[in-house]
Amino acid sequence: MSGVQDVRQRNKGKGINRDASGPSSAVDYDDHNVAYLPSRSYIESFLNTEEASAAVVAILTIIAFFTRFYKINHPDQVVFDEVHFGKFASYYIRREYYFDVHPPLAKLLFGLAGWFVGYDGHFDFENIGDSYTENHVPYVGLRALPAILGSLTVPIVYAIMKECGYSTIIAAFSAIIILFDNAHVAQSRLILLDATLIFFLSLTMYSYVRFKKLRYQEFSPQWWGWLLATGTFMACTWASKVNGILTVVAVGVAVLIDLWDILDYKKGHSMQYFWKHFIARAAGLIALPLVIYLSVFWVHLAILSNTGPGDAFMSPSFQETLRGNELLMKSHEIRYYDTVTIKHKDTQVYLHSHPERYPLKYDDGRISSQGQQVTGYGHEDSNNQWQIIPTKALPETGRGRIVRHEDVIQLLHVNTGTVLMTHDVASPLMATNEEFTTWPKDDHSRYNDTLFHLRLSDAAPGEAWKSKSGHFRLIHVPTKVAMWSHPTQLPDWAFKQQEINGNKNANEKGAVWYVNEIVDSQDPDLKAKLEEVEMKEPKRLNFFKKFGELQLLMLQHNAGLTASHPYASGPINWPFLLSGISFWTQNEGQKQIYLIGNIIGWWASVGGICIYIGILGADLLARRRGLEPIPDDVRNRLWNSTGFFIIVWAVHYFPFYLMSRQLFIHHYLPSHVASALVAGSVLSFVLSETINTPVSAWGPSVKPRPTTYADHGVKAPVMVAVFAIAMFSLYLFISPLTYGTPGLTGEQVNARRLLSSWTLHFAAKESGNI
Amino acid sequence: MSANVRARRPPSPIPSQPPRSQRFPTLTHSRSDADERRTLASKGYIPGRKPHPSGGVYVTSAEWKLLILITLIAVGIRLFRLSQPNSVVFDEVHFGKFASKYIKSQYFVDVHPPLAKLLITLAGFVFGYDGNFDFKDIGKVYERVPYIAMRLVPAILGVATVPLSYLTLRALDCRATTSVLAALFITFENGLITQSRHILLDSPLIFFTALTVFFWVGFCNEDKQQPFSDHWWLWLTLTGLSLGAVVSCKWVGLFTIATVGFSTVYQLWLLLGDMRVSARLFFRHFMARALCLILVPALFYMFMFWIHFAILSGSGDGDGFMSSEFQHTLRGRGMADTYADVAIGSVVTIRHVNTQGGYLHSHPHNYPTGSQQQQVTLYPHRDSNNDWRILNATTDGSEPQDWATLPLTYVAPGMRIKLRHAATDKALHSHDFRPPVSDVDFQNEVSAYGVPGYSGDMNDDWIFEIYEGSKKDPQSKRRLRTLRTHFRLRHALTGCYLFSHKVKLPDWAYEQQEVTCNKNAVLANSLWYVETADNVLLPPDAAKVNYRRPGFLSKFLELQQVMWTTNAGLTDRHTFDSRPDAWPRLRRGINFWVKDHKQIYLLGNPMVWWLSTAAVFSYIVVRGLLILRAKRGCKDFENTKVVKYDTLCGFLFLGWSLHYFPFFLMSRQLFLHHYFPALYFAILLSCGVFDLVTSTLRPRIRLQIAAVLVIIAIWNFIYLSPLAYGLPWTKAKCQNARWLKTWDFSCNDFYDSVSYDQYKGIDYTPQPSQIVPTPHGRGAVVVEGPVPIVSVDPNTLGKAEPGHDVFAENPHPDVKSDPAVEPVQYDPVVSDVKEISSVIEPSSSPGVESSSSQSAVESASGDSEAGTTSESSSQVEETTIAATLGVPQEDEAEAEKVRQELFPDGRR
Repeated sequence: MSGVQDVRQRNKGKGINRDASGPSSAVDYDDHNVAYLPSRSYIESFLNTEEASAAVVAILTIIAFFTRFYKINHPDQVVFDEVHFGKFASYYIRREYYFDVHPPLAKLLFGLAGWFVGYDGHFDFENIGDSYTENHVPYVGLRALPAILGSLTVPIVYAIMKECGYSTIIAAFSAIIILFDNAHVAQSRLILLDATLIFFLSLTMYSYVRFKKLRYQEFSPQWWGWLLATGTFMACTWASKVNGILTVVAVGVAVLIDLWDILDYKKGHSMQYFWKHFIARAAGLIALPLVIYLSVFWVHLAILSNTGPGDAFMSPSFQETLRGNELLMKSHEIRYYDTVTIKHKDTQVYLHSHPERYPLKYDDGRISSQGQQVTGYGHEDSNNQWQIIPTKALPETGRGRIVRHEDVIQLLHVNTGTVLMTHDVASPLMATNEEFTTWPKDDHSRYNDTLFHLRLSDAAPGEAWKSKSGHFRLIHVPTKVAMWSHPTQLPDWAFKQQEINGNKNANEKGAVWYVNEIVDSQDPDLKAKLEEVEMKEPKRLNFFKKFGELQLLMLQHNAGLTASHPYASGPINWPFLLSGISFWTQNEGQKQIYLIGNIIGWWASVGGICIYIGILGADLLARRRGLEPIPDDVRNRLWNSTGFFIIVWAVHYFPFYLMSRQLFIHHYLPSHVASALVAGSVLSFVLSETINTPVSAWGPSVKPRPTTYADHGVKAPVMVAVFAIAMFSLYLFISPLTYGTPGLTGEQVNARRLLSSWTLHFAAKESGNI
Repeated sequence: MSANVRARRPPSPIPSQPPRSQRFPTLTHSRSDADERRTLASKGYIPGRKPHPSGGVYVTSAEWKLLILITLIAVGIRLFRLSQPNSVVFDEVHFGKFASKYIKSQYFVDVHPPLAKLLITLAGFVFGYDGNFDFKDIGKVYERVPYIAMRLVPAILGVATVPLSYLTLRALDCRATTSVLAALFITFENGLITQSRHILLDSPLIFFTALTVFFWVGFCNEDKQQPFSDHWWLWLTLTGLSLGAVVSCKWVGLFTIATVGFSTVYQLWLLLGDMRVSARLFFRHFMARALCLILVPALFYMFMFWIHFAILSGSGDGDGFMSSEFQHTLRGRGMADTYADVAIGSVVTIRHVNTQGGYLHSHPHNYPTGSQQQQVTLYPHRDSNNDWRILNATTDGSEPQDWATLPLTYVAPGMRIKLRHAATDKALHSHDFRPPVSDVDFQNEVSAYGVPGYSGDMNDDWIFEIYEGSKKDPQSKRRLRTLRTHFRLRHALTGCYLFSHKVKLPDWAYEQQEVTCNKNAVLANSLWYVETADNVLLPPDAAKVNYRRPGFLSKFLELQQVMWTTNAGLTDRHTFDSRPDAWPRLRRGINFWVKDHKQIYLLGNPMVWWLSTAAVFSYIVVRGLLILRAKRGCKDFENTKVVKYDTLCGFLFLGWSLHYFPFFLMSRQLFLHHYFPALYFAILLSCGVFDLVTSTLRPRIRLQIAAVLVIIAIWNFIYLSPLAYGLPWTKAKCQNARWLKTWDFSCNDFYDSVSYDQYKGIDYTPQPSQIVPTPHGRGAVVVEGPVPIVSVDPNTLGKAEPGHDVFAENPHPDVKSDPAVEPVQYDPVVSDVKEISSVIEPSSSPGVESSSSQSAVESASGDSEAGTTSESSSQVEETTIAATLGVPQEDEAEAEKVRQELFPDGRR
């Protein structure tokens, strides 16, 4: 772009000269340009004309679309996480409430794409391998969305490099790493969120680079435009997937460094000037993204207005805002002497008792009270019925008979005529918790032990206890333990039912229960109400309350995803491409989709990062000894431009070491994009010590400097071409694993297992049979 | 400056040392403290280099006397009634026990390196401890244990920390007043007192941390004067040795290494930027530090383990954590030589390579799930149920027992074999059922199947594949050689590999390790080797082999790995654990010991503690401000005072943060006492801040302020001292002392008034309701009035930090596998039970789904409206229960007694 001077000057007149290297008074410096130009090789000058650049980017984009869309209809089955994200698209179309750990933007886009291609949301994406064609799902339309975004990422990567002042061939190098990367291709061809995430991430980087280049024209309309664009795309990244928050952090770090420089006394700025900058960035990069993020959620909640599978995650008050929700329909106030069934919130078992007694002595030698067993039972049964007995005088009729928050109650087991009790005897499985049992209702000798405090969750004093929605803890009055259960089975003597015991920490998670159903009531009104089913209007709840609750749950559940997965891998494996993910297999024809990157591109990227760290380390040490091996301009480029890429890479990579949740190699893809950029700039440095400078647009207050041009000579195009061919060959070689077609024989699979740690299917046995 | 108001001797040059030059008139300021120096400076005597060569400290004789006095106070505070309580306190459970094991040379494994434990053992040994006390529970009264001598080790090291803190601050160029303040703060820090009075590792750790800091500061002073002098080398070597000692006490010592490391790197960075230092000189600096600060500590650390191994030569309960080679080196665990060759017909025991799960094992119990055939597990101990006979499977249909008549055939790769369990005569078998725990598609169940005389089916066939042999035994790559060949067993029909991993089976398999057949087997987990082989066909003089004895280095590395994995695995909760964010606030302590209406509760001196935290935070704020000001062009850092205190406080802050923040990354169980090394730095930092704040005041006023601070600290100490020493206290005083609601010492344990009658006479007799009332149940839950207190339940109260428990008992508790234990008297009853339960449980579909069986019962009782069925079923159940238990008479009687106690009002 910065290549040919006369092109530049023509542009300048039109006032669209946002271009980096455009000196505001180019004519003055023609001498310098002339002085530099002869040393440039012809090929370098040619490639850096705008026409050549446009041609390169066009070719790259076309290839990108081709690679991403090739056989996009194959397989016509549900693949890997399409189980989730396809399902969510259906829910948007059906407007049924669901819950997921990721923010909704990318899924909303899928819903939009589905709606656009006329999908009616009937399919449930239950299992990997379910057929789309048999179920008439327009899945190609859904898959086209990430494929388009994934393809567009390639020209954006090119543009980032170009804007940072690298020459065409270097920019093409970075773009090729993404273009022929099997992992990016595989991830973009399926209904997954990562392509959207990466697309917005690269847009964020692009906008930030553009913004940063205008730093001498601060507060100009363009400056504001790119600032707001950065904020917008950043918010979109964040709203696409939960790890998009790392993009926010990355931009935040870059901005802080930027502000720190502005603060520098030696720059001669006043504090007022600093605050102006600070406030502008706060507005563009904090306030605006927040608004966008919130509005995405607003749209999400506005669309999902019907009851759906996500109800159970939410609090009762939230659930009552959903049309057709069970809580909304069936929640009634509970009165004394009602017979109810009580369910454990986490494990969904009923509070149950039966005439069998605890064994006298347990296997570990502890002694029980031999009282009647109280257990958790998963099925409907008349032994689940409990009657609520008051401990105070009641009026004959009326609202005085309603059970309220903080009341002290007894629970009568209807079938055996005994009341629930707990006492200071160790429970069958946990010596630290109290045993729950029952006591004959007429025997008042242990009356105190049968009293329980009813403590409703988030309740105001005197709030009525309602079935379904009234989550409660049952606190034993004398010993202050809470009725608690956990998913552990009792031995055979209790028919392997679940243990219920008294936990001394009443705030423990498993101590929340709710009344599932009012089986019988003495109150005729309620009885009548129980019969009829009316359609109620959903209640309304403040958006911010809903948002806050949802956000909190997302964080909790995200942290809770710790179950092991056969294809989960640790962050240390990722940059070296040590393991992939098996997305889909089909025995017939031995087809499989295995998410794995192009090993040449990945190792080149890691190599780039290592070389970068090595160069900077050596430079620091040398400077300490008074040597300056790298010219200042080049050094600044390494620090500022490559440094930004490194920040993006590191911020999207290292936090995963702190996460204990399930991690997969596709979490590295955003970092991989950044590492491709690093690799490009390092290649530029290795090939030649010349750079395009300056790249930032001149401002009125800045003294212009002479323009210099990068010159990589002939070797750069040759090297990049060789690299591209190598990438392309390897890409083709692995492509059966990426596209799931054609099928491979065992030997072919073995040949494609480039690293022994890849766990491909259908591999031929290496040790021959006898 | 108030210098002009002061009445003091004129700062004239000392006659004995005439000024050496006109520009720098005197060097005598070295004698004077910081105030005098400033005065001198104001009169034109510019501070120059210190004349005395020792970089460490310059302490006047008056100060020495003061220091001795402070040390004596510390001795009084630390050793006061050291013999009380005369029973086991908190982690003495572990560290006392370890001392016993050292004395009896029984091998054990602990998560901490050995130095501190060795010191404690030494004290016990010198005072004649015979190692026969078991340190079983907290509160157990000592019998014939020189526990006072053992407690003296941490106590004396705790005392020694006090003068060290004084000297360190002096070496950091603080005033004597400040240093005294620090020494007294440390003396009266309740937490440090409590921690140093018992047989625990933290007091040695803190002492060596303090020692390292002192040596390092001394070295830095020396380095400014005259590098590569004898003193310089001495200080540097001492720093290295002391670093080795810290890390040999506890791995937390690595943080001290990091502190010194950071400091060293900074020094080197400065040197590198100093263009007067030639590259050669820089290299000398670098090598000297590498030698003394890396090599010396590493050698010291390894030497400690060398002593550790030398002492622990016998077998003990830590064996199970170590590899077979390692165990072979222990007395009593050695293995007899065994035949080197394995042939068809050999009886072998097969061990898993990658885990310590042990031997391929089977026993006459069936899987409750899947095929319901006989279980195959990994079992860690030697046992006749580990014996398998290798049979040839290629001769299909012919007699399986014909091996005895055929010529000797060695087992070679590709051979198709069967493994027959010697005790039950069933073959190792795999088939398309999911294993009980690893219930995934690519895993098949492995069972033992067959009847005597029946040659078995194709599912018993395994293909033998050699993975690697030993380099020294070339034969071992060509055929199966005992101990030398690592092999895999591939199931002939399904192609899966015999596999095991660190997954325990449930109770019904006695928590032994799961064995499966895995189609995607991780290579390391599918490797096996033969440990013993016997064959009647082999002549008695045939070649025999045994384990190679590992050298020190491989034993050392293996133990490090075991310690690391176990340490990282300590993630259980403990009643008194806490997270790092709670420590600087002193949110909660640790209950060490409760007995006889007295209590020891680890809690810091709130005033000292909070003051130190405040100092840390004020440093952060001030330093942040200074950075911002520097950025805006203020020239603060050209002020010598700012530079001096920045260096001083910066170093202490570095120490604090490196000893504190890494804990946030640890997911293991953490306790308040993990903060103590950081606390030491924080206290020094608070005194550094004091030095700065009072630097413009007159010495007398400074002394007065220091005195006030010390008096408040002492008052705090006295107020909470009954908890530190376990002294008699009253309930009311205890309630008053609970300044934070989260301090959960249990006041109800104290009497209403300290009348000594109440405390007299009842010493060490079991208390009615305080201690666990029954051998099996729990004590009364103490519910405290208005305070929403975390349970105070004696059972959990008196619990040691369970980290060490991992090693405490046999790691693989196992009831059965010993064929003799097979309960004879239970046999008929047990089979009865099984019949009944099989009536109740419909032969359920595969899968563990208990609900299917329980729903059968439940629906029966439910449908009939609590009618006859449920009653009869309950009767059946009752009899079964009684039958299952088969309780002997005395058990029954005991249980009856317990029931009487629990329910005095009677029941039944």
